[in-house]
Amino acid sequence: MRNVHVHRHPGRSLRPASLRAAALAAVAMTAVVLGGCSSSPGSSNATSSSAATVAAPGTANSGNITWWASPITSSGADPRTVLVTAFEKAYPDIKVKLISAPTDTDTNRATLTTQISGGAGPDVYMGDVIWPAQFAAHQLADPLSKYLPASYFGTFAPGLVAGATYKGQVYGAPFFEDQGFLYYRKDLLAKNNMKVPTTWEELMTDSRTIQSKGEAQYGYVFQGASYEGATCNFMEFLTDAGGAVLNKDSTSSAVNSAAALKALKFEQELVTSGVSPKAESTYQELQSMNEFSAGKSVFLRNWDYGYSTSQAAGSAVVGKVGVAPMPTFGGESTPGYSNIGGWNLYVNPHSQNVAADLTFIKWMTGNDAQKILATQFSEIPTNQAVRTSADVIKSNAVLAVVPQTKLVPRPAQTPFYPQVSTAIYTNVSAVLAGSKTPATALKDADSAINSALSGGGL
Amino acid sequence: MRKRTMGHRIGLAIASALTALFVVLPIYWMVSTSFKTDAGVSAPSPQWFPNPISGGSYTNAFVDNSFGRYILNSVVVAVAATIIVLALGTLAGYALGRLPMRGKFTTLMVLLMISVFPAIAVIAPLYLLMRELGWLNSYQALILPYAAFNLPFAIWILRNYFLGIPREMEEMGRIDGANPLRTLWSIILPMALPGLFTAGVFTFTACWTEFLMALSFNSSNDFRTIPVGIALFGSPHITPYGTLFAASTVAVIPIAVLVLVFRKSVVSGLTSGAVKG
Amino acid sequence: MSTDRAATPPSLTSRRTLPPETVRKKDVNRRRMARLGWYFSTPALLVVAAVTIFPVVFSLVMSFSNVQVLGSGFQLSGLTLGNFHTVFGSVKWRYALGFTVLYTVVTVTVEVVLGTMIALVLEHLRALRGWMMALLLIPWSLITVISAQLWNYIYDPTYGAADAIFSAVGLGHPVILGSNASAVIAMMVADIWKTTPFVAIIVLAGLVMLPGDVYEAAEVDGSNGWQTFWRITLPLLRPTIALAVLFRILQAFGLFDLPFVLTQGGPGYATTSLAVLGYQAMFTNLSFGPGAAVAVTTAALVVIGCILFLRVFRAQVNEGEES
Repeated sequence: MRNVHVHRHPGRSLRPASLRAAALAAVAMTAVVLGGCSSSPGSSNATSSSAATVAAPGTANSGNITWWASPITSSGADPRTVLVTAFEKAYPDIKVKLISAPTDTDTNRATLTTQISGGAGPDVYMGDVIWPAQFAAHQLADPLSKYLPASYFGTFAPGLVAGATYKGQVYGAPFFEDQGFLYYRKDLLAKNNMKVPTTWEELMTDSRTIQSKGEAQYGYVFQGASYEGATCNFMEFLTDAGGAVLNKDSTSSAVNSAAALKALKFEQELVTSGVSPKAESTYQELQSMNEFSAGKSVFLRNWDYGYSTSQAAGSAVVGKVGVAPMPTFGGESTPGYSNIGGWNLYVNPHSQNVAADLTFIKWMTGNDAQKILATQFSEIPTNQAVRTSADVIKSNAVLAVVPQTKLVPRPAQTPFYPQVSTAIYTNVSAVLAGSKTPATALKDADSAINSALSGGGL
Repeated sequence: MRKRTMGHRIGLAIASALTALFVVLPIYWMVSTSFKTDAGVSAPSPQWFPNPISGGSYTNAFVDNSFGRYILNSVVVAVAATIIVLALGTLAGYALGRLPMRGKFTTLMVLLMISVFPAIAVIAPLYLLMRELGWLNSYQALILPYAAFNLPFAIWILRNYFLGIPREMEEMGRIDGANPLRTLWSIILPMALPGLFTAGVFTFTACWTEFLMALSFNSSNDFRTIPVGIALFGSPHITPYGTLFAASTVAVIPIAVLVLVFRKSVVSGLTSGAVKG
Repeated sequence: MSTDRAATPPSLTSRRTLPPETVRKKDVNRRRMARLGWYFSTPALLVVAAVTIFPVVFSLVMSFSNVQVLGSGFQLSGLTLGNFHTVFGSVKWRYALGFTVLYTVVTVTVEVVLGTMIALVLEHLRALRGWMMALLLIPWSLITVISAQLWNYIYDPTYGAADAIFSAVGLGHPVILGSNASAVIAMMVADIWKTTPFVAIIVLAGLVMLPGDVYEAAEVDGSNGWQTFWRITLPLLRPTIALAVLFRILQAFGLFDLPFVLTQGGPGYATTSLAVLGYQAMFTNLSFGPGAAVAVTTAALVVIGCILFLRVFRAQVNEGEES
């Protein structure tokens, strides 16, 4: 009984008054902080850009800058510190402080967004190649073409600068590139007198033959989980089939097409036929790499790091792995498309030392740094001269294949790209998990993409 | 004390063993993986025991990274926040449980609503607040929010345990003429030690494992904490399980030590102590 | 509070039996104690208010405005219900709501039953209890992302321990995270492993603090252990258990790390929780308006849930409030 009255009187007279007071206080605080943040970053922004135009851009020889970059490799010497050391040797009066960023790309973006929109953050940051449109639209990156001449952007491999451009301005300097490759078991193909498949149909038949002899459990492992990687893989199948996700000016969806249906049906068939594992809908790079390194699969689609990882201690396929451009569908011109990944360097609009930032970026995308990245760390250089130089090509099996590949970017020319990609990968993964048919999945993706492009949807 | 039959004892033993197994197996898997070589971590058929045993993951975690500093930062932040939470939470929990205030229920409900609010939603505005205060890259940027977000739970839980203490104990103090703060300190608090311990442990672990605020507010290595340090391991497509598990095995030790240190004074001290007797 | 109390029979009768001057002294004392109560609680409330009021109000404001996150800060304009319209109209949100509710109900139920059982076992241990508690705290104090990675490693289709165990006992190679149902179950197992200790330790502290004489009375009655548990221990424990349930509901509704690491919300969006959805909206898509609306809606739903829960269980949570 006493409990009843305890509840009947929760400060009946107090509640409205105290709530009102609390609300007032909160609104006052909100106003103060909002007022504060809308004025101060604006002014600091103005000073930084005027400072940059006064100093000849990209030629500063002194200053302190911070560089935000996530880990590039997971063992051995850290390329980030190797590069910073080499840069400071070239420019002794510029001090670069490396801030290690979270490995997970989404967490990385979340932290950067919070810091930059909060009026702070690092001077230069390493960001994904799919960020430019979104970061440009939200003014989270300073346009580099405002400072650097067209001749600078001409030093990069074709297509890379276009991917970093939004509404005529270049926002990121391509730092190192990545792309899809077909890794294959040299020993198994040789044993069966097969040559490296150049079409998807061929890959499927070869896989089945080898699987039926019990020489490998799976034919092809790729990335089909509900995450960005599934979009990358789908882009390759889709472009091979002649389809596209968006129309030319990125204003509406083009994904509900016959070509897309062909691509998605093929992905589904890989799983239903047993050529790819039943668990494909859970496979990210890690899982597919593991299957291949364990010797369980004939073919693997993976990025540039796949080769060195397959040759690391503990792998069952050391010395048995070859790398080739991606296959395409029968009747299309070979090779198939490889999706572009990799990282750009961006400048924070709040940076107080843009001139030094640009010196740093120019050096990082120049000959010395790019050669270090390629020969010491097997990353694909973005600098066209380095990329095609003989000693880089012969330094690594993967880099030798790069000039033969055909690239396709993800449809990241819209600031709504994250939602576009989510629409693709959730639906692709649902098809691979067997919970949607390819036709329904494309219809769902189509409407989700259109609603994302109109600025709506979740 | 209750009498114990043979069957009772056997039942207990089996139940404890099952409980222990349920908890232990995944932990065993984490610790044993931390001692495997890279090849052992990704052996096609799992190595139930690391073969060969290797400390390589520990070297990776501690030599190649500034992990020692992260541990120190975590200790500073978690200890400070826990002390604040226990001190303020005890006073508030006692008041809201035992003293005849108006508006108790409203206060408690508001506290509850605050702890409901999703952490992801408060990060961006809190960042603005921290920047305005000039607190980015500092210990207080974490201590204050940790204290604030853990206080509601601590107050609720302490209040609950205070409510369980017989009223006569306070009356005794009052008759002796002790002031309420003294009664709380010397009579109520000793009896509420298990509750205090529970609130303390939960606050500490919550601070110890918090990630989003630590990552966003403190980007300098001098103020980064363990969970942030762990998020910097690996590379985009490689999850270094061995290194991750080595770091987290070490990160879990302080918590276990904490419990074992307080075990004598708090936990078993009350097994047959004043409250039960 | 004192006025309400005066209106209830117990205090009336007690008043009547006391001489008038004692009553007055008691009232003065009561007011003094009430003031003391506010002195005691103000520091804690101030700390909480200083940190939380601004972010909570800010999120509320964002959820009702058109928000643009720019490098120069947040730009809010207009008063709109558009964000909520977007949220409520989204198939994904409705699915995430259903998933989160189902997940909360199942995991909290299992964890509370299991946690209470563990607490009862621990209560009987003497020498080992400290060690067992230390052990129990390990899963709980593991960094959430790490425990998710641990389960990711266990569930790995190539070299995972779970796959090895399943195939060793003749269950073949089930696709653990690859079908909607099994991914949800696998996630629940990981959650139960990590969070049951939380419940067990709260309940254990409650058990340890129960007055010992009730057991003696029960023993005199000749009740067996089972009867004692149902008739005496459980009713006395109800406030503590209710508290554990309350906070577990709050935590479970905020489910984030497990899906974020284990499945990234997949396959499809089968394991996308409300928190994951809100996070994606805010930090991946940078649409803070709808993201804030997801957060605010979630908070509102949990508050309503908690109030309903407290309604049903209020006697339990507030037991012993006034004696």
